[in-house]
Amino acid sequence: MSVLVFLEFSNDNLKETSKQALTYANSIDDNVYGVSDSDLDDNSMKSLGSFGVSTYLKFSGSFDERNILNCIVTSIKDLKINFLIFPKSNTYLKVSSILSIKLNFSLVTNVVSIPRFKKNIYVKSLIFSGKAESEIEVNSDSCIFILNKNIINISSFNKSVLIKEIIDNTNILYPVKISSIKKEKIEGDILLNDADIVVSAGRGLKGPENWKMIEELAKELSAATACSKPVSDAGWRPHHEHVGQTGLKISPTIYIAVGISGAIQHLAGINSSKIIVVINNDADAPFFKHADYGIIGDAFDVIPKFINALK
Amino acid sequence: MNILICISCVPDTTSQISFKDNDTKFNSEGVQYIVGPFEDYALARAVELKEKDNSIHISVLNVGLKDNDPLLRKALAVGADDAFRINAFPYNSIHVANQIASFIKENSFDLVLMGKESIDFNSAQVHYLTGSILNIPSLSPVTELNLNIKEKTILIKKEIDDGIETLEVVLPAVLGCQEPIAEWKIPNMRGIMNARIKPLKVLEPCDNEVKVNFSKFSVPEKKENIKIIDENNIDELIEELKLKNL
Repeated sequence: MSVLVFLEFSNDNLKETSKQALTYANSIDDNVYGVSDSDLDDNSMKSLGSFGVSTYLKFSGSFDERNILNCIVTSIKDLKINFLIFPKSNTYLKVSSILSIKLNFSLVTNVVSIPRFKKNIYVKSLIFSGKAESEIEVNSDSCIFILNKNIINISSFNKSVLIKEIIDNTNILYPVKISSIKKEKIEGDILLNDADIVVSAGRGLKGPENWKMIEELAKELSAATACSKPVSDAGWRPHHEHVGQTGLKISPTIYIAVGISGAIQHLAGINSSKIIVVINNDADAPFFKHADYGIIGDAFDVIPKFINALK
Repeated sequence: MNILICISCVPDTTSQISFKDNDTKFNSEGVQYIVGPFEDYALARAVELKEKDNSIHISVLNVGLKDNDPLLRKALAVGADDAFRINAFPYNSIHVANQIASFIKENSFDLVLMGKESIDFNSAQVHYLTGSILNIPSLSPVTELNLNIKEKTILIKKEIDDGIETLEVVLPAVLGCQEPIAEWKIPNMRGIMNARIKPLKVLEPCDNEVKVNFSKFSVPEKKENIKIIDENNIDELIEELKLKNL
């Protein structure tokens, strides 16, 4: 039994979700392979031992998607790897789907627990946008798990990393006719999906001109900003900030909701946050029933006080 | 130009989720079913495209049981031309993708639209899996879609992990759609009357081994006790959250 973890880097630093995936993988088996589409130098590869990588798989050839996937398919077959672990991201949802079909691996998404091995494999997964959980029974010995964020505490390891070069021996994927016209980066330093703390605001803020204090609070907390659906529908904030059932689903360590009533559709996007703080002037707002901490008060009074207290 | 819209039939977004038979089955009592909100966007965009060019033919497909037929009729009322239902319980993403792919192999479609994800099992992968089985491009989440019927290409905007990418894709392709690709459409009276006479075909599923089963369900425990903090005592909140260490 061996495990391959797909890693992600941000500015050459291993992302937290990738560290979590490595700890998760080590709970399945000691022999953990790591791979990524970042062009790492030898020192960076070797430093992955402290997060639990036993062997790092390094591509030969170009870094285009087709070569990368073909190299991975070849090495999974050659090395008899039977578990693939992905932290959840847009890119990895796609990569895992392709590998699942090409390698005939079973696939479980939104995983929130370590697998139990009996006659079959059992693992827990979030469903109904986080309103419920299901135990999943996998009747197969090769499986892909896509992990939700913050489901495990990161452990430290003391492994010396082997570096193994991998090549494309399959050529099973063919180039498709897609041409990229342009890429626009989202503004802001902290991406909503990666953020440990999120400050989110709703219609209670009355208008887009009042977001300045939300941005300032977020800056003080090194947090990302988010919003509710009515706010993005009204064009007060961009669509990529919308969290909820039909927007992004996030699970930060701390979620601070300002002037959001807490409709069930909004909760679906944030209910796997570790700690929820609600600031609302309506003491009957349903959000208070789902919060860990609450401040009953007007956002226009509370937020400046919050910013001052942090300073 | 033939467009296929694959829809999921899911509990309404306001539904309280509960289970029965010793937590092994979803309790659908009192639950209102809807076309998945993301597929509603996909369908609405296809209908908008058809309003501009009537040569577009829109088919709608669901993998599910007989209870879903009224929702297929609703999609016909919104503007689809014909509807298909593969008579199978949608066990898991790979199972559903295999059913859809085998339907597409037997029929010809230039463009396949789905939602970004279904709101019941949220795997967000049926479009990618279908594309992989058929060896055609699959892209998601798509927030803008324009069609060049003559060249058989599409110009799309798609969210990536750190931004938005504009892409040109040669058809055929599979897309997972999300807002703001279109405004939801509500069927009008004429649409509802017409939908009654549009074809709805029921097909038998292809053979497919089910290896992933949702065996037991649970609802997460509610938060115990909220701690209310006075707005003049924000230091207490900061202390509780240990924010000072950050």
